[in-house]
Parts: sequence; C-alpha cells; structure tokens
Amino acid sequence: MKKIVKRSIVMLSALLLVTGCGDDEDTPRAAEGQVELDFWTFWGSETRRPIIEKMINDYNESQDEVFVKHTFLPWGDIWTKNLASIAAGNPADIIVNDINSVAQRADNNQVTDLSTYIDDEFMDQFYPNLRETVEVEDGTYAVPFNTDTRVLFYNKTAFEEAGLDPEQPPETWEELEEYAKQLDIKNGDRYEQIGFYPLWGSFGADAWMTNADDGRGFVEDGEVTVNTEKKVEAMEWVAQWRERYGGQTIDALTAEFGSEQANPFINGQVAMWVDVGTFYTQIRDYGDGMDFGVASIPAFDESSDNWSTGGGFVVEIPAGSDHPEEAMDFIEYITGEEAQKYWATENFDNVANIAGSEAALEELEGQEQEVFSFLNDNLAVTRTYPLTIEYPETVTKINPIVDRIMLGELEPGEGLDQAQKSIEQDKR
Amino acid sequence: MRVNQTGAAGKTIVNEMKSPEEKDHDLSVVKKGRKKMPRGKKENLIGYLFISPWLIGFLGLTLGPMLFSLYASFTNYNITSRMDFIGFSNYKRMFQFDDLFTVSLWNTIYYVAFTVPLTTVGAILIAVLLNQKIKGMSIFRTVFYLPAVLSGVGVYFLWMQMLSPSTGLVNTILAWFGIAGPAWLFDPEWTKPALILMKMWSVGGGMLLYLASLQGVSKQMYEAALLDGANVFHRFFYITLPMITPIIFFDIVTSTIGSFQVFQEAYVMSQSGDGGPANSLLFYNLHMWNNAFELFDMGYASAMAWVLFIIVLILTVFHLYLSKKWVYYEGGDGR
Repeated sequence: MKKIVKRSIVMLSALLLVTGCGDDEDTPRAAEGQVELDFWTFWGSETRRPIIEKMINDYNESQDEVFVKHTFLPWGDIWTKNLASIAAGNPADIIVNDINSVAQRADNNQVTDLSTYIDDEFMDQFYPNLRETVEVEDGTYAVPFNTDTRVLFYNKTAFEEAGLDPEQPPETWEELEEYAKQLDIKNGDRYEQIGFYPLWGSFGADAWMTNADDGRGFVEDGEVTVNTEKKVEAMEWVAQWRERYGGQTIDALTAEFGSEQANPFINGQVAMWVDVGTFYTQIRDYGDGMDFGVASIPAFDESSDNWSTGGGFVVEIPAGSDHPEEAMDFIEYITGEEAQKYWATENFDNVANIAGSEAALEELEGQEQEVFSFLNDNLAVTRTYPLTIEYPETVTKINPIVDRIMLGELEPGEGLDQAQKSIEQDKR
Repeated sequence: MRVNQTGAAGKTIVNEMKSPEEKDHDLSVVKKGRKKMPRGKKENLIGYLFISPWLIGFLGLTLGPMLFSLYASFTNYNITSRMDFIGFSNYKRMFQFDDLFTVSLWNTIYYVAFTVPLTTVGAILIAVLLNQKIKGMSIFRTVFYLPAVLSGVGVYFLWMQMLSPSTGLVNTILAWFGIAGPAWLFDPEWTKPALILMKMWSVGGGMLLYLASLQGVSKQMYEAALLDGANVFHRFFYITLPMITPIIFFDIVTSTIGSFQVFQEAYVMSQSGDGGPANSLLFYNLHMWNNAFELFDMGYASAMAWVLFIIVLILTVFHLYLSKKWVYYEGGDGR
C-alpha cells in the first residue's frame, strides 16, 4: 500500500516536471539597466509583423533607456489574456486594442488614464472623431493608432459593358439601385453578375441605417435612437434588395463567397462592392490590372451626406502596468508622425495621426496615391460608433432583429420598435 | 452440455488470475507483522487512490474557482474594478429582463433533446454493425472512428462548406433524390438541425465504448438463446441491449452534460460569431461567454453558469434515479 502511494507521488511529480514549460531563451532581451516594456499586438501576419517589428526596432535603437519587446497574441486570445493579466496584477506595458470599447475599459478600470502624461496639443495630432472615442469624461484612456473608412468600389469594365459612364459612380441610393439593375446579368435562373447587394462586403444593415439617418448612431447623447423614421426606411430599403434577388440566390451566394479564396468583386461576380480602404491592396495584388473606381457610399437622398462608418485600434496602457511613464514615451513615438507615416505607406492603412497620414500621401505614387487621397478625404464623412456604457448590447440586440426582417418574419418598423424597447429595458 | 463446459473453463481462468495477487498481499501483511486491515477499508482506500488524480485536481484547481464563482454570482464582479454584493439581482435579471437568456436556454435544450438520443442510438447501431465478423472490419472501424479524432475548427469549416446551400455536398446529394435542401446555416429554422447533423457524423467516439462493451457480452448467452430459438431481434433486445445498459447510461449522462456545454460550433459557424441568424445558434454558453468576455459582466456570467449547473445537476440526479429501473449491472453485489 505504502509503496503504491510513494510510487504515485513520484510519478505525479515527474509528470508535473515534464509538462511544466520553461521560458524561451531566444527572444532578444533588455540590456542591463534598461527598462523592458512588453508590447502586445495581434499583428502576427507575414505582412504586418515585419512592419510593426521594424517600428519597434527603430525605437529601441533610437535610445538606450527602454527596451520594447513585441509579444504577438492571436486575435481574440489577446483580449482574454489582457483581462486575466490585469486581474492578476501582471499586465502588458502597452497593448493594441479596439477603438470602439475604450469607454468600457475605462469604466471597468482596465486601462491607465493617460491625461497626466499628455495634453491637448498632443491630442490635436489626431482626427477628431477618433479622439472622441478615447476621451471619456475627464480622462484620456488611449491614443488612437489607426482607423478605416468604408467606400464603394466599382468595376469600370462592367459599367462600360452595361452602358453606364465609368466616371459617374452612383451618388444616391436611388442611383445605386438603378445602376445595380443595369449591371445585373442573369442567365436563366442563375445570376452571372450581381450589380450590388448591400449586405456583402463590410457595410452591415446597421451601417446603412446610420448612413440614412444623417450619420446618427443607435445611441446619441444617452438616448436610444434605433426606431427613427429614416432607420426604418433604411431597413425597408435593405430588405427589398433581398426580395429582388430572391432569398435563395442570396443565401447560396453568401455561402459560396464565404468559402472561396478569391473575392467576388475581384472575380467579376459582383459589380459594386462596399469595403474598407485596405481592400484596395487586394485588388492591386490579385486583381490582375482590373479597372476599378472608388466612390463614397451613396447618400440616402440628394440632401444627405455620404455617411460612412469606421473603426480602428488604439494603443493603451493596461491598468497596473509598472512603467507607465516609459510606456507613454513609446506610445508617443508609435503614434507620432514618422512612425504613423511608415505604417500607413507599408500597410496602406489609414492612420490616426493627421500629419502622418498627409506625409504618407506625399510618399505614395500613382494609383496608390489616388486611392489613399480619396480615403483620407472620406474620413470627413466617416463616423465611429463607440459602445456606450449604459447600453453595451446595442448591436447584439439589433442584429438578430435585422436577420428576422431580412427573412421577412418582421416588418422593419415593428422590428426596430422591438429592438428599441429591448435595448432601453436593459439599461445598465 | 457444451455451454456448461465453457462456463467452467472460464471460471477456472478467472480464479487462477486472481489468486497470485491475493497470495502476494497476504504474504506482505504477514511479513511486516502488522494488524490486518479490514478488507472493505482496504478496497475503499485503493479506490480513492485510483480516483486521486481527479480528486487532487478537483480540490486543488477546480473547487476554489467554483466557490469563488458562486460568490461572484451574487455580486457585480467585473474582474478589474467592482465586486459589490448585490444579492439575487443577477438571477432576477436573468429571468425578468434578459430576453436572450430564455432564447439561449431554449436553443440549448432543443439541441440537447435531439443530439443526445440521436447520437446514442447512432453509436449503438454502428457499434452493432461493426461487431460483425466480416473481412476488412478493421478498416470500417477506422473509417467510422476517424471523425471522432478529427475535431475543432477545421471540421466546422469543412461542414460549413458541405452545408453550403447551392454547392454544398449535403444539398447536392439531396438533389439527386429530388429534394431541394434547405439553406442550413442561413435559415434560422435549419441551423440547429444542421449542427445536430454534424454531431451525428462524429458518433465514432461513443461507438468505440459500445463496441468494447459488446465484445464483453458473454457468448454463452447468445448460444443459450440460439438453442431456445431466439431470433436476431430477440437476441438484440433481450441480451445485447440489457448487457450494455451500464455503458448506455454512462454515455447518456456524459453526453447530456457535454451537449449542454455546446459553444464552439456556434461561435465558429454562425456568420459573425454572434449566434445568428436571428439568434438561432445563440446557445447558453455563447450568451454566457458574451456577458463574461465581451461585456465583462462576470457576476452575471457566473450566475448563468450556476443556473446551468443546477439544470444539469437535476437532470443527472433524474437520470440516476431512472437508471435503477433500466440499467442492469451484472454481478453487482451492491457494494
């Protein structure tokens, strides 16, 4: 009996030894006397990783007091890990995080208030709509890093074939619909080319609703604004597209597009497509010289603006970080003009720093410059819709209702009333 | 007569295998000159030793967090800044204000109610078929078991392609028979059946358990039944099935618990990981996860976890109670 117990203990401890993992020794370390900062990002792809690591390297070489170490964590994992490490009191020194939930993290004490380290002048460097997302009450809880804007890409060759002027993209919803009908190519039961479908690409029903409603989001000044007249009209309009093409066609194509490697716009299956600005790089790299144009999102009517939506990422210091001062110095560098210009030109990404963005524009050439300039201008009609603390579940409640409206189970007005009520009742 | 002979032979073998061990035990006790431990106590001790890896894990790793989450469920805990006692507010909110709670619970119960019986019956059927003596059986067994080994996100992606409304394999095959297949993952009416279908594909795991227990069913019973003129169905329903009831019971209990925890499938296979379309794949755990890690409402999520725990506990106790009526333990002496 005793023997068995002894043996089990030996075996167990051996097992623990085997499974316990050591720290890897290969990564570069801080030199003696240097402060080491751990910088977490989810940029691990072949394209992005070398770019961010070059930026870090430049910073490390520019001074010798601080050494920044890059830690890549996969998308999704990084947020839970961040949370756990904050709770454990051993967080990263700097992390890249979502721009739309800064207020949430500030409210939950997950981030360090940076306002003691920075002033208005520093924050003036960034686009005002991005600045809004990081300034919560009297604090500044993050610094904007990059952003994006959604625009309409259209196939000029398809326009010509349909007898449309390739230099005249649709400007209103009415035109968009009209053009789409002309661009549809149907062969028997099957569409060979779809002119346009509003829910493909990266502009959801929610974005069409805010586009219609003069850029107004779902919560404005603490009021829930879901069932407004224009939003209901927008939903009616979006639902009508599905009816026109037929639910079966849309479902089949959505599934097909989801499993394909190539993008349906680049493939020539869809003639107009709303996507983020960086979608241009896909056309550039895989489009085989495709003749395309870029336009703003069509406006609700002639008197409305071409409202678009944007997101992006911020850099912030998790609560409880040991070296906020040093971390802030690095953040100033990485959100500064020089670094932002580098990120923008290498990634073809809209950056938060205005001067950096303009400098990138100078450096780009030809078609790249043209598109980038357009994207920069489009930021003026782009709004970000940060989550609010009182109504954090807005999107969660709207999406299922949108699904049911699209399936014809709910009238748009009735559905948005339901969503409005459900969001209001669950106020935090 | 033949039956008796085999039986006797079997018994002898068992006795021979047991005896050296017992002798050994007796010797060691005598050698050390200690007072002999009562046999029952010793067996208990050895039993505990065998389950000690689980016990150590439970006491050292699981129990603490469990009790913590029980307490957290009565607070507004958000991991980083709050943990104020708020009584039953979380539980109240669940049943009164959170309409997604009801939706997610209903979705989960629907899924469990179909998955558990279907996979159990499926696994038994396949196990019985694979218990025949045919050439190349090991290949069949491997083929059926393989899906149980493949798991995770890769399989879900594979199924998303197979379930594609127009070009997917499932609807293509249905079309051969003149059936226009549904839009599966795009139609809220069909998303859960799609997932249940996918689960059926991996019944191989349960099948293996049944196969092992089928091979443990003594041949003499079949031989005796054959002599009495029992046909194939009689033999299945009166011998095979009763003899494997302990495994069926085990399988039902574990797969009920497992099915209540369905999460990954919905997270990966719904359009934007939100349990859509129209919340049809918003399972209990997905809703809980959203509360915990998207909204940081850990107190509420903990309360949800405890409600699920209680539901599963009640079901398990119910299963245990029912098991007395249908589970047959051969040679059990109640100890």
